[in-house]
Parts: sequence; structure tokens; C-alpha cells
Amino acid sequence: MRYLILSTLAKEDEEVQGVLKELKEQGVQISYINTNEKQISGCIGCNTCWLRTPGVCAINDDYEQILIRMLQADRVILITETKLGFISYKMKNVVDRILPLATMNLRFKDGQMRHYPRYKKKLEMALVYKGQADNVFLTEWMERVCINLSFTSLGAFDMERKGDLYHALGYDQLHAESC
Amino acid sequence: MHLVMISCTPRAVKASNTAKILEKFREGYESVGNTTETYYLAERKSWEQIRVAYYENEQVLFALPLFVECIPGIMMEFLESLDYERLAQMQKKHVAFLVQGGFAEASQLRCCEKYLNMLPAYLNAEHMGTLIKGDMFSVSIMEGDARKKMIAPFVQMGKLYAEEGHFDKEKVSEFAKPEYFSKRIILLSGLFSPLRKLVMQGMAKKLGCKGSLMAKPYQRYVN
Ligand SMILES: Cc1cc2nc3c(=O)[nH]c(=O)nc-3n(C[C@H](O)[C@H](O)[C@H](O)COP(=O)(O)O)c2cc1C
Repeated sequence: MRYLILSTLAKEDEEVQGVLKELKEQGVQISYINTNEKQISGCIGCNTCWLRTPGVCAINDDYEQILIRMLQADRVILITETKLGFISYKMKNVVDRILPLATMNLRFKDGQMRHYPRYKKKLEMALVYKGQADNVFLTEWMERVCINLSFTSLGAFDMERKGDLYHALGYDQLHAESC
Repeated sequence: MHLVMISCTPRAVKASNTAKILEKFREGYESVGNTTETYYLAERKSWEQIRVAYYENEQVLFALPLFVECIPGIMMEFLESLDYERLAQMQKKHVAFLVQGGFAEASQLRCCEKYLNMLPAYLNAEHMGTLIKGDMFSVSIMEGDARKKMIAPFVQMGKLYAEEGHFDKEKVSEFAKPEYFSKRIILLSGLFSPLRKLVMQGMAKKLGCKGSLMAKPYQRYVN
């Protein structure tokens, strides 16, 4: 199992360090990116990655590494702080830049219009957040983000309920220890 | 009434669908004797000016494109940059939203709408409703009458907002329909899918695209 852990929190954040350590102890392979050490601008909405250079973003920054590491992973865990009941702009910028993974070609899936994914790729994604938020809303949002990319959402988890995350990841012993 | 309108797309004003839609909305809103001022988050140099306009006015409309099922990162960044101690001491503003997206069904915008229903409380503002509308992806690609036809209905919505002071939920649903496409249309769409792909590929070619829309530039990393 290969994980990509992507965090917008301070590098020294102890809870993130804790998650990294605990997952490592499960014998999984972890690739860790702290966005504060990277240059990642927001999407500029130019549609280049759909229409002009399909699959490649017009902005040449550190985002390419993220895209590549996502394609190499089995699971992605996004870790961020909440702001105004949603994820911080730093993480939203990362998520907005995911667009090259979708294509301009559309189809119906489960009754709604969707993109054809660019790559045949199975990926599970989870969101872990610190701060106040409506978990039901964030869970629904993650669900929809994943459907659009033909990924699977594992859910949205408050860092204070880390045990639920471990349960969703299938590490019931960690789950028990965290509760 | 005076309305501050803030376009929350990162896309350059000239190329932006939001800007074109907002222009129509403004026409309708002003047609009954109101005034407006419009700002664009894409013009980063004006952010301080936009914050001042936000603090100093009572009526604000945020207009945004749907970005990955919710508000764009740039809008989040702007909102995070506001002074919340100051807002807490101020009289509650009236805040409304206009969200438009690429996919055609109204149901595609409902998740973002849920967030926008919660957002005004964080801003210490009163929520005056949210106007949603899909199928707007090609506003800027279209030209002439085709574009006019796409965005003309927003004039009426601007007028309605001016007259009623809020977006009425039922009228919004009527404006944004269909909520979902019928089974029949979904079936037909499947049949026309190859044709649509060809049209799309043609459009891309016009924009200078050399390869396939389904190109996989990072395929070697997939495993
Ligand atoms: C990064 C990004 C994400 C998008 N996500 C969605 C989406 O989740 N649902 C949707 O219907 N349209 C989505 N769109 C399409 C835009 O909402 C639509 O094209 C809009 O009209 C763009 O407005 P603008 O030109 O003012 O930026 C997305 C576009 C971009 C660039």
C-alpha cells in the first residue's frame, strides 16, 4: 500500500507527525509533501489542461510533483486546517489544480454528467482537517470530488477523531488505540 | 440601493464567464434605478480596494464559478484575508451569491450551495440567497448571438433580485432547471457521445491543441 500524505499545516505539526509515524508502523510506503515548502499557485481557470495541452497544466510550478505522486499512490490523505467551515485556501488551491486528471470529454454516470478520467487509475482519498467544520458537508464534498475523478472517497475526518480515519483505512488496531 | 459585486474567478476578466454573466445581472439590477460597483479578484492588485468596498457597503453579491464542487481557491483566499474582528463589530451585511458552473444540471451546484448557506454566518452577514446556474462553460467560447442568448436570462434575474431583495429558492430552481436530466435524454446522449467527442476535439484544435483530448502525458507514472 502506497500513501501520499499532503499537508498544508506547519511542518512541525505534531498531529501530522503522529499520523505519519502511526501509518509507517503499519508497514506502508509513505510519500509526504508539505505544501509550505512548495510553490503551488491557484488554478487560473484557463482550461489549457483540457483543451490546449490536454493533461498538462499551464502553470509551471511544483504542482507537477503532486500530480505525479498521486498517480503513483494507492491512497491520498489530504491534511489541512478549516477556515470558515471549509478547507483552507491553501488546500483548495491544491484540489483545484487536480483538473488535468479529468478530460474534456463528458458522459453520464449515476444520473449526472461527469468527465471521462484521463488515466485508468484506482485511488482512494481521505480528508483530515483541524478546526471547526460541518463533517456531513465535508464528507459530501469529498464524495463528489472523488466521483468526478473516478476515485473513491474514504471520507472526511476531524483530526480529533483520528480513530475514525484509521478505521476507514482498515487499521482497526490503531483505531482502538486512538479511541 | 447600491450593490457591491465581486467576481470571484481567478480567470482573467476578458476571458471570464463570470464577468460576462455579472455584466448582464448588473443591467437588470440597475434597470430599476439601482447602482452597482464591480470588482474582480483576478485583479490581485485591487484586493485592498475590494476589502475596503466590502467593509464599507451593506449589500454585497459574490459571483463565482463552481470550482471542484465548491468555491474557487482564490475566493477562499480573499475571504480568509478579511478582518473578522472588524466584521464582528459591524452591522450585519446582506450577502448573496451567484454561482455558475460547467455541468448543466442544477443538482451539480447543490453541494456548493450548501456551503454558501453556511458561509454568511462565518462572515457575520445575513444570507440573501444563492442563484445557481449550470451549462455556462462555453459562454466565452461562443460569440455573437449564441453568447447573448446564453447570458441574457441573467438580466431578468438581476431585476428580480433588485425588486425582491433576495433570491427566492423556488424561482432559483425554476431558473436553474433541469435538476437532473431525464432517462431519455441520458440515453440519447450516450448515442451522441462519439459525435460530441469529435466536436470537442475540433474545438480544441481551433484553440491550438495538437494532440488528442484524451492524451496521457504522465501515463508512465501510473501503476
Ligand atoms: C478548476 C476548475 C474546476 C471546475 N469545477 C467544476 C465543477 O466541479 N462543476 C462544474 O459544473 N463546473 C466546474 N468547472 C467549470 C466552471 O465552473 C465553468 O467553466 C465556469 O463557467 C467558469 O467561469 P469563469 O470563466 O468565470 O472562470 C470548473 C472549472 C475549473 C477551471
